[in-house]
Amino acid sequence: MIRLWCTQVLAIVRLEMKKTFFARRGLWVYLLAFAPLVLFVSHSVATGHRRSQLEQMARNHPFSRAAAGDIQTGMTRDEVTQKLGEPYSRWDRPTREGHHRRHERSHWRYTDGQSELHLFFENGKLTGTHRSELDTLPKVSRIFAGVFQSYYLRLAVFFGCVGVFVNLFRGEMLDKSLHFYLLAPARREVLLAGKYAAGLLATVVIFTSSTALQWLALLWQFDSAVVSEFLASTGWSQFSSYLIVTALACVGYGSVFLAVGLLFRNPIIPTAIVLLWEGVNPFLPAALKKISMIYYLQSLCPVDAARGKDVPGLVHLLISPVQPATKSVAVLSIVILTGVVLVVAALLSRRMEINYSTE
Amino acid sequence: MTESRITLDNVSRFYGEVLGVNGVTLSIGPGITSLVGPNGSGKTTLMNLITGLVRPSRGRIRVLGVAPSQPEKLFRFVGYSTQFDAFPKGLTGAQFIYSFLRLSGQSAAQCRELTDRAIAQVGLVEAADRKVAAYSKGMRQRIRLAQAVAHDPRVLILDEPLNGLDPLVRSETIALFQRYAAEGRHIVVSSHVLHEVDMISDQVVLMSGGYVVAEGRIRGVRSEIQDQRPMQFLIRCRQPNRLAARIFEQDHVVEARLLPEGEGLLVKTRDADRFCRTLNHLALDGLDIEGVIPADDNVHSVYEYLIGGQEATP
Repeated sequence: MIRLWCTQVLAIVRLEMKKTFFARRGLWVYLLAFAPLVLFVSHSVATGHRRSQLEQMARNHPFSRAAAGDIQTGMTRDEVTQKLGEPYSRWDRPTREGHHRRHERSHWRYTDGQSELHLFFENGKLTGTHRSELDTLPKVSRIFAGVFQSYYLRLAVFFGCVGVFVNLFRGEMLDKSLHFYLLAPARREVLLAGKYAAGLLATVVIFTSSTALQWLALLWQFDSAVVSEFLASTGWSQFSSYLIVTALACVGYGSVFLAVGLLFRNPIIPTAIVLLWEGVNPFLPAALKKISMIYYLQSLCPVDAARGKDVPGLVHLLISPVQPATKSVAVLSIVILTGVVLVVAALLSRRMEINYSTE
Repeated sequence: MTESRITLDNVSRFYGEVLGVNGVTLSIGPGITSLVGPNGSGKTTLMNLITGLVRPSRGRIRVLGVAPSQPEKLFRFVGYSTQFDAFPKGLTGAQFIYSFLRLSGQSAAQCRELTDRAIAQVGLVEAADRKVAAYSKGMRQRIRLAQAVAHDPRVLILDEPLNGLDPLVRSETIALFQRYAAEGRHIVVSSHVLHEVDMISDQVVLMSGGYVVAEGRIRGVRSEIQDQRPMQFLIRCRQPNRLAARIFEQDHVVEARLLPEGEGLLVKTRDADRFCRTLNHLALDGLDIEGVIPADDNVHSVYEYLIGGQEATP
């Protein structure tokens, strides 16, 4: 019997493949999934270009980081030049204040190829310094974690699952072709399992491949030795964690929206309610937090994205669960929540009827 | 006995406050059974109930002993060609049949073989590899029929299966139904083409407003209403006046009208059996009767009498 069910599930997956992967109305799912990739590729290209520019400048205008430590405010431009040499970029601008006083402001830049030292002069005297670092792997990994938790899980995977899973039944109902499935000698539960498997396959492939590509895009700007070292330490573990979290998000949200597609003629309202519930999760009491997918998904994320000092307050709240669940509890909870939702959906599917005229 | 019949026991279905069908009790045996009725009479609802696409609000349905709520058993031996003119997108005719056959769990080779056979049965071999979206209405009707018969079902439920078919294909399709019926299968057909229903049906179910108004063999149904609607016979004879005088002596004859050309009589009677016996006696007495044809012993007349001025399904 189980063999028959597996064969039937496979047959449904085969039938659904073209629709879930190549449907014209599913194009926006790809846009959602791959939008961060565009962002990360652009960032990587820009940073890589900047890094090679700075390395070139550092070769032409050598500068010692150690000497930069001796620089103090109040020094003259000559004193600075004596210690650090000529900057690779200088910007001098005379300005006037009132009718008589003449001011001159300067902005000098030095680089060692990895960072930039900005020196600000006023009337020939150093008034301030600022050091800006090019992206480092820890910084990039935090950026990725922030985007992953605040956009990718909460919006891209969420709405991607809405687009794919709601349409598994709802779309067929609108196309008036669902009855062909119901006229097959298959249990409704098997039909549901087949549809769910098809949706899951599509979303997992689309979203995990995007996660992997985003990750690669971020690493691409770095030297291969640096990347190898990072991967050997925590990189691979982080990478696989992100893939697993993405897949689990598809598993969890997929089941919810499959049920929504079965239950509701108009999925917009229930989707909005789920979105709101997941959105207000950080503000909920601990007991209620646990009745959501995002709480467990965030608990599984390998990098604390909220660690950075420059993270805005609201984003900080959204990306950091106060008391994250342990990994095993998180995985188990997602599996249990998914199982409960699928069982309810299976019971609903037994009562499913064809009534196209009311669509 | 019940196991070999489709039975509906006091089945009702309401869509909110709208009546789909009400209190339908039927027992359908092998052969061709036609559902006839005007738009909204409940034919499609009845078919959807039999196949489990909708659930009854009350009552009990069994198809050869199996409840429609068990599709995994039901559709092993039931095929349903619906009226819904929509198909899964992007599939060719052959892919459509094959893909849904695969849902039954049969091997790829078996499904290919069944697909080829079904497509050949409906005469779509040349169009099998074309997208269904590019099919004409008649071809779509045939591919739906092919899908319904592909797994060689014992019970076929066909909602307006002759719609959109050209005369040649129509007659081939009717021949296919008759062959299935001769093999002892159950064929339930809804149709508005009454002369075809008359030609192919072993029994009819007349529906109106969600109710079954009559069912059975068409002659049986006709006999049941002969008190309210006397049966009409067309009698061809050389002495119509003499014949008219003789048959008017019978108390069951309510009208006898001479045909315009004087070639015979149109007689209305409340007792067809006694009328036929009377005619035999008259023939033995020397009246030259060339032929007797029942004039309203067909689905169309029964339909008109029972359902009256309501319009047939277009």
